[in-house]
Amino acid sequence: MYQDFYLAGSLLGFSGWNQQRVYQKAIYFRIIPLMSPMALRSLNLPGVGTKYEFETDKGDTVAIFFTKTGTIQMYTLQKGCHTPSAAEMTPVEARRLGNILTGAIIEADQESVEIAFSALADLRVTIHTYIVPRIVAGKTIEDLQIRAKTGTTVIAVSRNDKNIINPPPSFVFETGDAVLVIGETDQLKLFEREIMVD
Amino acid sequence: MAGIIIAQGLIIALFVCLVLALVSKYLTIPAIPFYIIAGVVMGKAGLGIVASDQISSFFSDLGLIFLLFFVGLGLKIDKISENRSAVLTSGIIDLNVNMIIGFVAAYLLGFSLIEALIVAAAFYISSTAMAVTSLIENRKLMMKESETIIWLMVFEDIAMIIMLALLSAGDQNLLFFAAKIVFALGILYLLAHYGKEFLVSILDRDDELPVLFTFVAVLATAGFALSFGVPDTMMVIALGAVFATTDPDAFEQHARPFKDVFIVIFFVFFGITINLTGSVSLYVIAIICILAIVSKLISGVLTGIYLYGSAKSGLEIWANTIGRGEFSIALAALYGSPPVALTIAVMVIVTSLVGSFAAKYSGSLMNGFSGRSRRHHGPPYRPHVPR
Repeated sequence: MYQDFYLAGSLLGFSGWNQQRVYQKAIYFRIIPLMSPMALRSLNLPGVGTKYEFETDKGDTVAIFFTKTGTIQMYTLQKGCHTPSAAEMTPVEARRLGNILTGAIIEADQESVEIAFSALADLRVTIHTYIVPRIVAGKTIEDLQIRAKTGTTVIAVSRNDKNIINPPPSFVFETGDAVLVIGETDQLKLFEREIMVD
Repeated sequence: MAGIIIAQGLIIALFVCLVLALVSKYLTIPAIPFYIIAGVVMGKAGLGIVASDQISSFFSDLGLIFLLFFVGLGLKIDKISENRSAVLTSGIIDLNVNMIIGFVAAYLLGFSLIEALIVAAAFYISSTAMAVTSLIENRKLMMKESETIIWLMVFEDIAMIIMLALLSAGDQNLLFFAAKIVFALGILYLLAHYGKEFLVSILDRDDELPVLFTFVAVLATAGFALSFGVPDTMMVIALGAVFATTDPDAFEQHARPFKDVFIVIFFVFFGITINLTGSVSLYVIAIICILAIVSKLISGVLTGIYLYGSAKSGLEIWANTIGRGEFSIALAALYGSPPVALTIAVMVIVTSLVGSFAAKYSGSLMNGFSGRSRRHHGPPYRPHVPR
């Protein structure tokens, strides 16, 4: 069951065209051993796009279509039923669903992705998003001593739908900023306790 | 900017089409019938606001050429040979049933032999664009029939290419004509084979070159074909098929804007040049339209029974392949006399609208079909609602 979800998630994860290459590579390494026992059919349909279909252990069928129009359609067919139910997604939505299925934690506005590089002795890094609370607003990255206290690094800030990549130490936080922090899971817990508390 | 004034009719027609395209997308109905009706209303047969001239006919030709180029790009020969049996069984049933019904009906209704052949070809070819859009928009991709429908469309495309070749041969010396075609195709093949790296290097660029190259390649091929005496329609399809061996997605992306704009001009000016007066009786057109729907029902149900042992599958195939569209109009524009063009135009309008509704409501249509037997299987499922 878990494998099935994992596979679906990996398929959807591949849809992202603006995804970082490392991320794709990481997933690629992890799904290879999982894919072999399962009958995954992929098919190129002329004029329509690419179809991926597999059957779960319990006999349900999941089919995913990457259409030429750029949308992704996912169909699920319960065993013994004749009419599938369908959902149409944009690439961003599909990626989101992929993250959920691969087991990343997603809360209302906080999500995190753990990436494992099996080629590098199972190096694991986690990227987590946080919403800046009022108490942190007005302070800079340097003021908060984020790196020294927690070992994590702020790699991006999203403010009013604009993204600031690699903010400098002098960057001033505002309430409602969404920050993207990278580190190990323990370091991120520390970050949550030390920096993000009211 | 005197050219803008000269092309005023064209601009008016395009503007009307833009509004209609918005409406058709909003209603999720194919836009082709709207363009043709708009053309008829604005043109010779209607108000006479817009007339076709050299500029519009040049743009119409471009529309047709780019449409055919896209057909070529979609032909992935290796994929087709892999799925030969899937393509063949349904394709042959579809071809035989519809060509025969179309031809016999048109001939008996008073068209000449050649006219009847063209009506039959247009009668046979369903619109690939409409079928694919309907499968995607109505969320039907997972149905087992949808694969059959998609391969059916591929078969029809190939059949159309062969028909174009035969029709354009006309009364020339067939052997000489075939030799010329083989020679021209050979040049194309050699260009693509030895120029592959050059093609890919052009497509990889970020500047205007890929688009410019695509546009010029398509136009130059058509121009070369015409001056050499081989059908430009066929050569453009061949160019597409040859380019498809390098990077079809890139070519599609670069050629799409041209196709999308020029094909609209092609449809609307096809409508504008239609002549309603004194050509063919309404009665004949109505019979052709009804038969166009019925014969696809027959071929669909036969395919459904043959492949899946179920007439219901056949109904689903029928519902998504009723609509005739771009290729029928192309045949009419290329080879149709005025009465043939009018007949095909009305057939496209009627079948595309009927088809769009049939595809949308095929589910409930079939539930009604087998509703009585299902009622005995217990109460319908209701989601659990806590009180």
